[in-house]
Amino acid sequence: MSEKLQTLRRLIVEGQAKPAREACEAALSEGLPPVRILNEALISAMDEVGKLYECGEYFVPEMLISVRAMKEALSLLKPRLQAAEVKPAGRVVAGTVKGDLHDIGKNLVCMMLEGAGFEIRDLGVDVAPERFVAAVREGGADLVALSALLSTTMPSMKATIEALREAGLREKVKVMVGGAPVSDKVAREYGADGYAQDASAAVALARNLAGVGVA
Amino acid sequence: MNGRERLRRTLRREPTDRAPIDMGSTAVTGIQAATYARVRKALGLPDAPVRVEEPFQILAEVEEPVRRALGIDTIGLPGRDTIFGFPNVAWKPWTLPDGTPALVSEHFRYVVDEKGDTLLFPKGDTSASPSGRLPKGGYYFDAIIRQGPLDEEHLDPQDWAEQFTAFTDEDLRDLETRSLRLYEDTGYSLVGCFGQAGVGDIAFVPGQMLRVPKGLRDPNLWYEYLASHPDYIRGIFDLWAGNAMRNLELYRQAVGDRIDVIFMGGTDFGGQRGTLVSPKMFRELFKPYYKAANDWVHRNTGWKTFYHSCGSVAKLLDDFVDMGVDILNPVQCSAVGMEPEGLKAKYGDRLVFWGGGVDTQQTMPFGTAAEVGAQAGERLRTLGAGGGYVHCAIHNIQARTPVENVLAFFEAAKGSPVLA
Repeated sequence: MSEKLQTLRRLIVEGQAKPAREACEAALSEGLPPVRILNEALISAMDEVGKLYECGEYFVPEMLISVRAMKEALSLLKPRLQAAEVKPAGRVVAGTVKGDLHDIGKNLVCMMLEGAGFEIRDLGVDVAPERFVAAVREGGADLVALSALLSTTMPSMKATIEALREAGLREKVKVMVGGAPVSDKVAREYGADGYAQDASAAVALARNLAGVGVA
Repeated sequence: MNGRERLRRTLRREPTDRAPIDMGSTAVTGIQAATYARVRKALGLPDAPVRVEEPFQILAEVEEPVRRALGIDTIGLPGRDTIFGFPNVAWKPWTLPDGTPALVSEHFRYVVDEKGDTLLFPKGDTSASPSGRLPKGGYYFDAIIRQGPLDEEHLDPQDWAEQFTAFTDEDLRDLETRSLRLYEDTGYSLVGCFGQAGVGDIAFVPGQMLRVPKGLRDPNLWYEYLASHPDYIRGIFDLWAGNAMRNLELYRQAVGDRIDVIFMGGTDFGGQRGTLVSPKMFRELFKPYYKAANDWVHRNTGWKTFYHSCGSVAKLLDDFVDMGVDILNPVQCSAVGMEPEGLKAKYGDRLVFWGGGVDTQQTMPFGTAAEVGAQAGERLRTLGAGGGYVHCAIHNIQARTPVENVLAFFEAAKGSPVLA
């Protein structure tokens, strides 16, 4: 790996936003292809952050500052990646389900997925089943990611999956669920394709469901 | 044996005729108002609107006949103002989202927006921007994030100063009067809902009680700033803890030894699988403030300190003991490392477990009454062995909980003596 990419990767893992942006600028001005910067520095760094989280080295604050640094670099790459028509790892429609306004966990999952090369359409909080259906129908999606914090709103996940089925879209997308009261058992009962216990696990699950390997 | 005696003996880990029971003494051991209305009805009490004592989570004020019927041993001494910065005075009618008739403070002023969401105003001031949102078809308010522009180069902790105020003479007279009345007219153990020592509690970060909150107010950014701007966070914590320490002394003067337990704070440090922040960050950024407050309580009063943190906090419990926490709540047994047998074996001689009685994420809302009774019975045996356990659900009893499950939970504690 080029030295510039190694530096950028390290700065993202360390969560140093401004230096990461500068390192990304330097890599671009050296003529490195944006897709290579994305894969070898950004995605690779966020995989490392996920591993550090899983093994108990990193916690939510450390993960968030790495995400911030990754986003700084990604903002420089995005227009170039789009111009080069680089395909994302998968297209994700995400949101917190109807009746539920909690978004910290959902946001973290979206940011980690973005850091893994997925294209995210975040519908926000209190998202009714019909809005998920409309988003999938209008923009297309490979994955639908549903979040709930409350035991009272968790059943909205089931209603959303039912709505996708009724709209004839269920077979076209994979559905993943997560949130404090959610479990593997709940995911199976509701007819989801998978459950992730945290943002790092969500990346692994999304890759699995979208059929993409680790960069 | 009355409730006060039963609870005091339990705090000392002495035998009792049964485990003491709490529901409704604090905003983390309460019951959602619509569920409460159904419990009331099941107990055969005459129809009456439910008073919403805590408007954020829409928790009911638990009344005397319910307390008696369920065998509750505690009573709370709430502060004057709710989290939205208005007092609970002059009740007026309001209808809960499921149609249940309720009463709310006259300062509970709201609008319903075009989506059908209910928006609540801070301090009851309709000229301010609303600070709470109850989504249409939802069950609880959540904070509206009113984050103004942040200049990261010039962050000033003083932006938060408005949030931390000293008790007024009126506050203190009110606390004194209410605590005297509850102490003299009832046999319950009093829980002082102080709460101000919960430095860094994310529930207060959005500033729902303020007309115009300043500084860092977005919970998403808050967790990031814990790592990226620790000096700014420490500056806010200095203000937070400084005010709490001054108010602790005033609180002691007002309520004296009429309360047995003081609710210190509820900063959540656990997720389902582990801590939200590293043990190192906890020790460096948070613990010194908690230790100072608990030390003050132990030096100056006979109160036991009650501390709430959801989730998996097993890796912080040695620190909790070290910083002087006497009572742990809500004891989320379903989280990693929080299995009741292990907690009791390792910490039973140092921490009183106030909660852990039943899982409110799965068993209580979705299980059968028999499953609730079985889990409650098992927790009474494990957490309750030798005393040091207050029978209480894991956090508030939620909306949509079947009423027979609620009744089964309380029934489980009756008639089983706690031996030495």
